[in-house]
Amino acid sequence: MESGGQIGTGDPPPFQPVEPGYKTALRLRSAIFWSILAVAAMILDRAVLADTPLAGALPMIAVVIGLASVIFFPAKTYRRLRYRLTDRILQVTRGWTFHTDTVVPLVRVQHLDVVRGPIDKMFGIATLVVHTAGTHNSIVTVPGLAPDRAAEIRDIIREQVRTDFE
Amino acid sequence: MNEGTRAVGEIERLHPFFLLTGLGRGLKGLTGAYALMAYLAVSGKLWLGLAMAAGLLVFSIVSVIIYWRRFEFRVGADDIRIDSGVLSRTHRSIPFDRIQDVDITQGPVARILGLAKVTFETGGGSAQAGKEDGVIQAISLERAQELRELARTRRSATTPSAASAEAADADAVYSMSVSRLLLAALFNFSLALLAGLFGLSQTVGDFLNFDPFSRSFWNSVLSASGPFRDYVLAHRLVTGIAGAIVLVLVGLLTGLIRTITREYGFRLDRTGVGLRRRRGLFTRTDVTLPTKRAQAAILVSGPVRESLGYGELKLQSLARDEDKSGNHVLAPLATGEEASRILTALGWREIPHPVGWQRVSKTFVWSFLLGAAPLLIVGAVAQVMFLPLLGFAWLTVPFALWFARRLEWRRIGYALDSDRLLIRTGWWRRRTTVLPLSKIQSVDLRESFITRWFGTASLQFGVAGGSSMTPHSIPAIPREGARQLRDRLLGLQP
Repeated sequence: MESGGQIGTGDPPPFQPVEPGYKTALRLRSAIFWSILAVAAMILDRAVLADTPLAGALPMIAVVIGLASVIFFPAKTYRRLRYRLTDRILQVTRGWTFHTDTVVPLVRVQHLDVVRGPIDKMFGIATLVVHTAGTHNSIVTVPGLAPDRAAEIRDIIREQVRTDFE
Repeated sequence: MNEGTRAVGEIERLHPFFLLTGLGRGLKGLTGAYALMAYLAVSGKLWLGLAMAAGLLVFSIVSVIIYWRRFEFRVGADDIRIDSGVLSRTHRSIPFDRIQDVDITQGPVARILGLAKVTFETGGGSAQAGKEDGVIQAISLERAQELRELARTRRSATTPSAASAEAADADAVYSMSVSRLLLAALFNFSLALLAGLFGLSQTVGDFLNFDPFSRSFWNSVLSASGPFRDYVLAHRLVTGIAGAIVLVLVGLLTGLIRTITREYGFRLDRTGVGLRRRRGLFTRTDVTLPTKRAQAAILVSGPVRESLGYGELKLQSLARDEDKSGNHVLAPLATGEEASRILTALGWREIPHPVGWQRVSKTFVWSFLLGAAPLLIVGAVAQVMFLPLLGFAWLTVPFALWFARRLEWRRIGYALDSDRLLIRTGWWRRRTTVLPLSKIQSVDLRESFITRWFGTASLQFGVAGGSSMTPHSIPAIPREGARQLRDRLLGLQP
């Protein structure tokens, strides 16, 4: 049995990685997030914990986790993030401690967005957002796509959604 | 109100009595302000508290009057139009085609005044977005029923399949007798009231020097009555038993009150579009559950209830139930036969009697224990350090966990019933879910770093409606089997 499983009829297209720029975007995003958190931890440390034996521990933890999530984690996240579009499904696998493999049948898609935030724009990537009717998993995202590719996938899926209604 | 001129779309307003009911509703929502007022009153700023109360009252009255003045609705040929808002006006048009069901709710005061709240459920729009969508707060009950009839007939003109209007009050699909109601109350045993009191005493108890959950409180109470204290101290066992009995009685009473106020007069009827449910002692609700919106059926039971042959039947629907709990109760306590009858009335097949349940992998038990191991070890160390007298008492904890998990494992099963997936979970809270494959919106195959060692994965299903906290899922299926099952469920593999 091959690892991908047999999905769809005929030869399923292989899983595809997203743009390498996604890695850098992730790094920047965690750097921003963890710097804010580290500053907050530092303030908390000075204000509340200065006289306790815990002094200095909180900023330390924030810095260590922050550095790890800037240096190591993005590469792992990037390596695990794969997607595949067949004529019937969109499949996204992600996560390196908790693997998640999400399958959305194209006929179940309600509507689609292509989102680009400021950081996405800096690194030339876009996020495809797929909305389903489900309460759990109502939003399935494929981050780190080239903007053209995101638009292309959106158009392919949109075509499928339309043909289903006719 | 205006009967004949309906087609033209005469402007209608809320019933004038809304000024009363709306005020009550507005004042009920200000709990935070009351807490602040109470705090002000207790902390010696009574006048400030009273001034605030007066201000709030005036503000509420004025805002209710303005809301009433500015709320208008019209019934057009194809839609219902609702204009509301003070500064920014909202003009909402609800096409009859889109109205899935019309709910009528009557609170206790509204029932005395003959008013009803009408909610138009439309297909689009998530449950969270704009909960005031298509709500008419207070109109006369007759008008509310007219609007419902109107919405039904207008819509059925476009969809002839739903043309058969509501069947006359012939046979109820399901209704509760008094004895059944009391039995349901028995199973609704709840210590929520006690927990609430506990929480309250923890938060405001210090303040009022009243904490019935602390020993010193009872000591001081008892010391005020000498002979009684002596009796209590002399017969600890008796007091213990008496305490337990009181606890049970409180639990039973809470269940009784909750069940009777909510489920009194429970009645389920079959209508042209689905099922119609009426229930409630003080607040009477009248809800239509269209078959088209049903996503899954869930039969909830417990060890005792199941051994007596009862269960609670719920329907996961696109709309939220009135108490926002997600699933609509179809029958609070039904026998298997009644549940089958309800499902049939809904147009679904009944749950086949002996289901060929597929068991999940036994690693369900072991991976859980492995995941809990760090906590268990910390607990063991802590116990040996701080409570050495208990010896190795902590060893019973992993054993109890193992036992509970194993009981659960024995109950978990899934089965493919042609075009539906049946899932059974839980030992204490037993749920049997009937999930039509066509209602599955997406499937997640999940592996954690622990289950990966065991080579198992869990499947989680995205289904519309219900709660996002507890999605339908099947745990611990061998990885390859999980993949195949997923592909079969999505119709990607024969």
